Amino acid sequence: MLSSIQNPRLLRLSTLHQIPLRCLQTSTTPVPTPSSPQPTSQILRIRKSLLSRETTAVEIAKTFLSRLRRTEPQLKSFLYVSPEDGVLKQAEEIDRRIQNNEELGPLAGVLAGVKDNICTSDMPSTAGSKILENYTPPYDATAVKKLRENGAIIVGKTNLDEFGMGSTTEASGYQVTANPWDLSRVPGGSSGGSAAAVSAQQCAVSLGTDTGGSVRQPASFCGVVGLKPTYGRVSRYGLVAYASSLDVIGCLGSSVADTGIVLQAVSGHDKFDATSSKQGIPNFASQFIPKDYLDSKPLKGLRVGVIRETLVDGVDPDVISSLQRSVSHLEDLGCTISEVSFPSFSLGLPAYYILASSESSSNLARYDGVRFGNQVFADELSTLYGDSRAEGFGSEVKLRILMGTYALSAGYYDAYYKRAQQVRTLVQKSFRAALEENDVLISPAAPSVAYKIGEKKNDPLAMYAGDIMTVNVNLAGLPALVLPCGFVEEGSSVLPVGLQMIGAAFDEESLLKIGHIFEQTLQGYSFVPPLVGDDF
Amino acid sequence: MGSRAFMVLLSHRGAYINPSANAAQLFLTFGQSPFSPVKKKCLVERRNHRTSHNFSTAANSSLEPPNLPRLAETARISLTPDEVEEFAPKMKQVVDWFGQLQAIDLESIEPAMRADTEDDNSRDDLPQIFENREAIIKAMPSYEEPYIKVPKVLNKE
Repeated sequence: MLSSIQNPRLLRLSTLHQIPLRCLQTSTTPVPTPSSPQPTSQILRIRKSLLSRETTAVEIAKTFLSRLRRTEPQLKSFLYVSPEDGVLKQAEEIDRRIQNNEELGPLAGVLAGVKDNICTSDMPSTAGSKILENYTPPYDATAVKKLRENGAIIVGKTNLDEFGMGSTTEASGYQVTANPWDLSRVPGGSSGGSAAAVSAQQCAVSLGTDTGGSVRQPASFCGVVGLKPTYGRVSRYGLVAYASSLDVIGCLGSSVADTGIVLQAVSGHDKFDATSSKQGIPNFASQFIPKDYLDSKPLKGLRVGVIRETLVDGVDPDVISSLQRSVSHLEDLGCTISEVSFPSFSLGLPAYYILASSESSSNLARYDGVRFGNQVFADELSTLYGDSRAEGFGSEVKLRILMGTYALSAGYYDAYYKRAQQVRTLVQKSFRAALEENDVLISPAAPSVAYKIGEKKNDPLAMYAGDIMTVNVNLAGLPALVLPCGFVEEGSSVLPVGLQMIGAAFDEESLLKIGHIFEQTLQGYSFVPPLVGDDF
Repeated sequence: MGSRAFMVLLSHRGAYINPSANAAQLFLTFGQSPFSPVKKKCLVERRNHRTSHNFSTAANSSLEPPNLPRLAETARISLTPDEVEEFAPKMKQVVDWFGQLQAIDLESIEPAMRADTEDDNSRDDLPQIFENREAIIKAMPSYEEPYIKVPKVLNKE
């Protein structure tokens, strides 16, 4: 969609100076360039230093592992960390391949965290719940399989709110993860562990999941980049289902380019997921133009729509200021800014919670203590079910299952579920119309910065209200990118703010292109938390 | 398209949510549906003086409130009396909040099952051997080849 307005000079430059990425099956000779610019992503930086023999995969792995060990007691991002010798053995194999000039996958040597609701056959996968304590799945999720095929090393399983139901990791059955920017605050959720791990550089990239904002909001709270792909872009095979019509697997990284490269690796139609799309995959990893080669107005002609309903009373004024500064930055880059209105915007939140609770009540019916997971002793079958589930599920999960059961009961389906489906249609239409007039829509990723642990724990509606910026995107199935755009000071803490960009269906390419340019031209910010500091 | 112009020009109130407020202090007003153009004028007039909804008052609903013990039985979750006491007000609060969808005109809007889907992407319905049968069996809490053991079923009549 952007190609029609792209500066032709820019287009020629980009093909000349493109940093080559080797795919699994192609030849290995890089395109010669007069002076290769510094890669803009950590993945590319790792690759460059491996291929130039500047460092080894083992050294890189050791650096990450030692930082993980140092920070983990305070952060608690991981529910399971891979044994060190296994990780180093995989790194040694990569070094051996480099020595022998063998093929290297695009993610070779990259340490990745995987959210614990994504199945890994060699590691426990609990979905953050006691009902699946010690459960090891008999297969890898397709997304995990693809990461491995591309050379990534999975360093562990990250913490989450149980079954993805929550916005802080406080609803995890095991532990609460801390925000690397301020350990007394939440990292966001439900992919809080994945976001904190990348923010603190315990791993280079991670996989999360996004049903109502669960990749984007923690990305915002932790100051990292979070990419929610279009529904159907990434296979859900091996993702523990929460709300099947809304769930997607997403990518987190410290730069836009990194999330694009990971998306490239995990996308594609999967015969085991009938909702996965057969749409072609553009080369998400090939458009990251180095900063020095950018035009003075690289986004000239791009139409950006600011969603008016996200800048109202109730949104933190400092977050609104950050967004306004981002708007100015986009204008400097050549964008045309206008305001867009979504009359059905606020309806998305109750519609989302009705749909998500209803679908989850059905999806979580399988946890009955019979074929997997924890079983409570009982001398009668329905007591076995009732007690295993009562013991295994946390309160938030029970609440949502009960709400879903209610909304789907005979006589109530029309009043709740069906009406929520109709609101979904309204939301889809609104977005489609807005994206005809605009190339991309923007909003804050959350109405506030990270709040204190415990602050919203007992108030479900207050917590749900925080999802207002993100849920409509899931209802419409669209892709969205969140990247850090500024900071807010609260007391003695400095907390990151995320900008959300929403694109048309299957147009992750535009989002990545715009996000990358925004990120590379943003001056004066470093999104490395003090906890990590000079070490990184 | 008329409805698009309607969206941009109309002044209305969006969502006012203070995330740090107590739920009882949360207010929500709705925007307007642009998708019934014939009724557009009446909608604007009717809704201009709509009051804010306070979460603590029940939305206009003729549906019975949730019967928690019955729902727990349907969902096969054994709730303790403490849990029933804890969940009932929370559920009522959330269900009342859901109720705001009753007040909107959704006539002639098709319900959407999910985001736009492509044509049938199912694979052929042919059986395949799963290679890791042992791991499935290993995960079962109570297995006695070839049966999965469960306690007896008691009829409640």
